[in-house]
Amino acid sequence: MNVTEAILGVRDLTMAFGDRVVMEHLDLAIEPGEIYVVMGGSGCGKSTLLRHMLGLQEPASGEVFYGSESFTRALPPDRERMLRRVGVLYQGSALWTSMTLAENVALPLQQFTKLRPGRIREVVELKLALVGLHGFEEYYPWELSGGMQKRAGLARAIALDPEILFIDEPSASLDPPTGRRLDRLILEIRDALHTTVVVVTHDVASILGIATRALFLDGESRRSIAEGSPAELRDHGPEAVRAFFAGGILP
Amino acid sequence: MDPEGATTSAPASIEMSRVDGSTLVVRLGGAWRLADDLPPASTVERELARETAATVRLDASAIADWDSGLVVFVFGLLEGCRSRGIAVEHPALPGALERMLALVQIPALPPAPPPPRGGWLDRLGRRALAWREKLRAASLFMGETTIALSRMVLGRARFRGQDLGLLLEGAGPSALPIVALVNFLVGIILAFVGITQLRRFGAEYYVADIVGIAVVRDMAALITAIVLAGRSGAAYAAQLATMKVTQEVDALRTLGISPVEFLVVPRVVALTLMMPFLVLFADLMGVLGGAAVGTTMMSQALASYLRQTSHSVTTGDMIGGLVKAATYGALVALTGTARGLAAERSSEQVGVAATQAVVTGIVAIITACGIFQYVFFLFGW
Repeated sequence: MNVTEAILGVRDLTMAFGDRVVMEHLDLAIEPGEIYVVMGGSGCGKSTLLRHMLGLQEPASGEVFYGSESFTRALPPDRERMLRRVGVLYQGSALWTSMTLAENVALPLQQFTKLRPGRIREVVELKLALVGLHGFEEYYPWELSGGMQKRAGLARAIALDPEILFIDEPSASLDPPTGRRLDRLILEIRDALHTTVVVVTHDVASILGIATRALFLDGESRRSIAEGSPAELRDHGPEAVRAFFAGGILP
Repeated sequence: MDPEGATTSAPASIEMSRVDGSTLVVRLGGAWRLADDLPPASTVERELARETAATVRLDASAIADWDSGLVVFVFGLLEGCRSRGIAVEHPALPGALERMLALVQIPALPPAPPPPRGGWLDRLGRRALAWREKLRAASLFMGETTIALSRMVLGRARFRGQDLGLLLEGAGPSALPIVALVNFLVGIILAFVGITQLRRFGAEYYVADIVGIAVVRDMAALITAIVLAGRSGAAYAAQLATMKVTQEVDALRTLGISPVEFLVVPRVVALTLMMPFLVLFADLMGVLGGAAVGTTMMSQALASYLRQTSHSVTTGDMIGGLVKAATYGALVALTGTARGLAAERSSEQVGVAATQAVVTGIVAIITACGIFQYVFFLFGW
């Protein structure tokens, strides 16, 4: 698929912190409706790639595209418009601790729609019910478990019906059953909202459970070394990728 | 979302009609998007209140486009009908909408209510309990700090020398520019006030005495301490509160290292040691500020002004000022670190801790200043 025809793509992207290059010449194109997983070992640049896609970090070279539009070259107002199409679930949920769950989910609706307070309340209740948190509207984030905070973060991320949902390490700091429940929820939300989902994770069970396509970033060579369905990569991918799936130690 | 059976993109509409006398047919049409002004589910409920029905049949075949706005409407309608015991038929809802409705989970039993945030009496009681807890924590902190400082004197406290070095640098040399500026200006202000009042008695040449004694005995220490409360006290509180949020304090505890020894002691030592040096420098700047006014407004020679100052200021004044400086330094460090360690685990509390550190620090400094004045007066110092 051509980068400029994809809903989201990167072309010849090089990511660096000052002089230290993290990843070079990265190309990818994500199709609408996919659950695209970026995987790799710790420190290989997965989350950094996510930050580049969200404009939280600028590329050393190369470009990020939303549809056919260059996000990297866009002016700030255009970037804002493009980012209006996305929702993000951060690794640590990043809920605003001074706000209740209802206020957390309501904030994007208050800022970016002209809905009346009553209607916002209805939407907030629906979004929280979608992630199984009906009745928890008046709780503060610190009054909830880690898994519930993740789900509340997801409710906030889908508040504006995003076209693209970014998720950073969905199962981080969750026990395996809670992680799998969150995976199922991500699948259901993708099906219900027709959202394209981009997930950054190193959790093999999560990758096999939800990904339609996956990209493997290799920290050693600073390149992406494989892309395909998780089963393909697990069974026929390069040795480093198969070792990653097997949980083995790289040679 | 992709329209299913889309025919138009007209605004969202509801049409209601009755069939067989017992069924209310609700036909939805147009575009149901959140950004638009959508009809509420209560429109249907009002119709049902006017004349009830055994069944509501939802016909969504004329919907052109939709997003969460439609889901909110349908969900509200289903809930409203469920509470009235009315059956709902929805044979032709878009597939994705059906899946979203299936996702919505309403627990059979509502979750436990959040902790009460109640009325004024409730809040008053909670505040009183919180105060009691704060007093207990403050006593505990003072006790732990006393023990930790004793261990430091005995050379047994656990903290890193390099941390102390950085803290000394941050509390002392880095603060010199702001301390210099503020005290120079205070010297100018005191000289102006002094000249204005003394001129009434023809005694304006005593301004060097007034400024010198005021600065060296009290003002330099007081002003420098207030500057440091806003600078170092707030920084200490924010650092320690952030360390609590990120569980760094817990990590110290589980290693068997007292956070008070590791974090509080070096800060208290740094500020207590550095404050007298800063105040000596502040004394000089304050006197120079006074001299700037004295030499320009009264055409007094700089050497003469400084000589007059040195005659009026005694060693006792200077020692008193330095003792106050060390005390204020300790108070700023103690209030800053206490507020930081007392912070709860949320990012909001970092800001609260920093604010409280400044306020508490300044109150502690002024209170100590008042006590010093009284004691010095009693002993005729």
